[in-house]
Amino acid sequence: MERQIINKKKRVFSLEPNKNPSAVFTRKYTSHLVPALKKLNMNKNSSKQTVKHEVDMALALSAQEFAWSRFLLQKLSSSSNPTTTTSSSSDGIRILERPDKEGGNEEGGIEERLRELKKLLPGGEEMNVEEMLSEIGNYIKCLELQTIALKSIVQDST
Amino acid sequence: MLEGLVSQESLSLNSMDMSVLERLKWVQQQQQQLQQVVSQSSNNSPELLQILQFHGSNNDELLQSSFSQFQMLGSGFGPNYNMGFGPPHEAMDECISRTSSCHMEPVDTIEVLLKTGEENRAIALKNKRKPEVKTRGEEKTEKKIKIEAETESSMKGRLNMRNTEASSDTSKETSKGASEIQKLDYIHVRARRGQATDRHSLAERARREKISKKMKYLQDIVPGCNKVTGKAGMLDEIINYVQCLQRQVEFLSMKLAVLNPELELAVEDVSVKQFQAYFTNVVASKQTIMVDVPLFPLDQQGSLDLSAINPNQTTSIEAPSASWETQSQSLYNTSSLGFQY
Repeated sequence: MERQIINKKKRVFSLEPNKNPSAVFTRKYTSHLVPALKKLNMNKNSSKQTVKHEVDMALALSAQEFAWSRFLLQKLSSSSNPTTTTSSSSDGIRILERPDKEGGNEEGGIEERLRELKKLLPGGEEMNVEEMLSEIGNYIKCLELQTIALKSIVQDST
Repeated sequence: MLEGLVSQESLSLNSMDMSVLERLKWVQQQQQQLQQVVSQSSNNSPELLQILQFHGSNNDELLQSSFSQFQMLGSGFGPNYNMGFGPPHEAMDECISRTSSCHMEPVDTIEVLLKTGEENRAIALKNKRKPEVKTRGEEKTEKKIKIEAETESSMKGRLNMRNTEASSDTSKETSKGASEIQKLDYIHVRARRGQATDRHSLAERARREKISKKMKYLQDIVPGCNKVTGKAGMLDEIINYVQCLQRQVEFLSMKLAVLNPELELAVEDVSVKQFQAYFTNVVASKQTIMVDVPLFPLDQQGSLDLSAINPNQTTSIEAPSASWETQSQSLYNTSSLGFQY
């Protein structure tokens, strides 16, 4: 099966696009995000917080096969003023502190790092280690696709 | 007689491609002669020290006696144990008197150890395997051989780390926790494993293998993980990468928030953006992504450090996307997900 998409002198040939999971995710993501942004735009209510909220919501909705997306949805829906998984200021401080902690490759250090990794993943703290590791894998993938999608959206609008 | 065996050994040691069976037979032949000498000279190399520990399977006294011996002899030895002809004899005699078994011919066995360090490590590893054959079943032998194959090619530090890992792994079964007794801990663990709680140790081993498999997968995903060895470093890299991605998303969403009023998102544009975003994931269109990087406007938010990260990130992001399909099978088959295929 081939689909031919002609888009401003760009040709895209896709073999069975439904079977490419990254393509499926990206398509879902943009289909969630762009209308949401439009709505925000029309309401003239857009603050940085709300856009972030929409971004995360789109992420959670596009990746509903994964456990972390459920946790993310919970967080988003429960908090009216959404503070999402990333908090820039604390992250910055954490990055600065880490060189001190990185001192030795010890056994205890691994536990610490696993805990920190759990904090990064939405809902990671309630999972056990094995589950968390596999969830982190697809979380990373989805984050990467999300950044690509966001970049393309941003770039198109400038 | 032993010289003949020694020469054969030298031939065999040079090629590590011997089959496991051959090695085991050879080891069984060598066991009586080499055991004590290995223990004596192992004060010079940590790997050999571990053989000693394996040999002292159920006999802690042997270990402690030999440890005290090492401390006595340690001052006299340099890194080159070719020099130690004199003292080891005496020490070995004393050691023999303390231990229950072990006949030896010290001179010949020392000759064996006169070989290069690599070969000695080979001896050490083969002798490591010997007690396993005796005390354990075949499954564990195989697992140990796997581990040893890794240690042969790795540094000493890594070996120690593995030991600490293994010892902490079954630390619930052990009681001790002193410093040099870290290696003794290992011994206790191995002794007990051979006896009673096989199921536990097997289950733990299976769990560990699962986790290491997942770590390998993560290593493939996260760029730059290949250069770091060891779990801790890899976890550091993964944490770093996840934080970078999250910051990037935040940055982009802030940018989007700023640009949002100016966005002219018509319905047709929606589909355009969808497909643009879609085909950027296709491998063939890598060039378009490379073009994206310089076009990415940097000045509006004034966050130059993130823009410095971005070029690195985009190039690395493409590679994982390309490998998505190869990984997708393992990714989606292991977890019970209803992903459309």
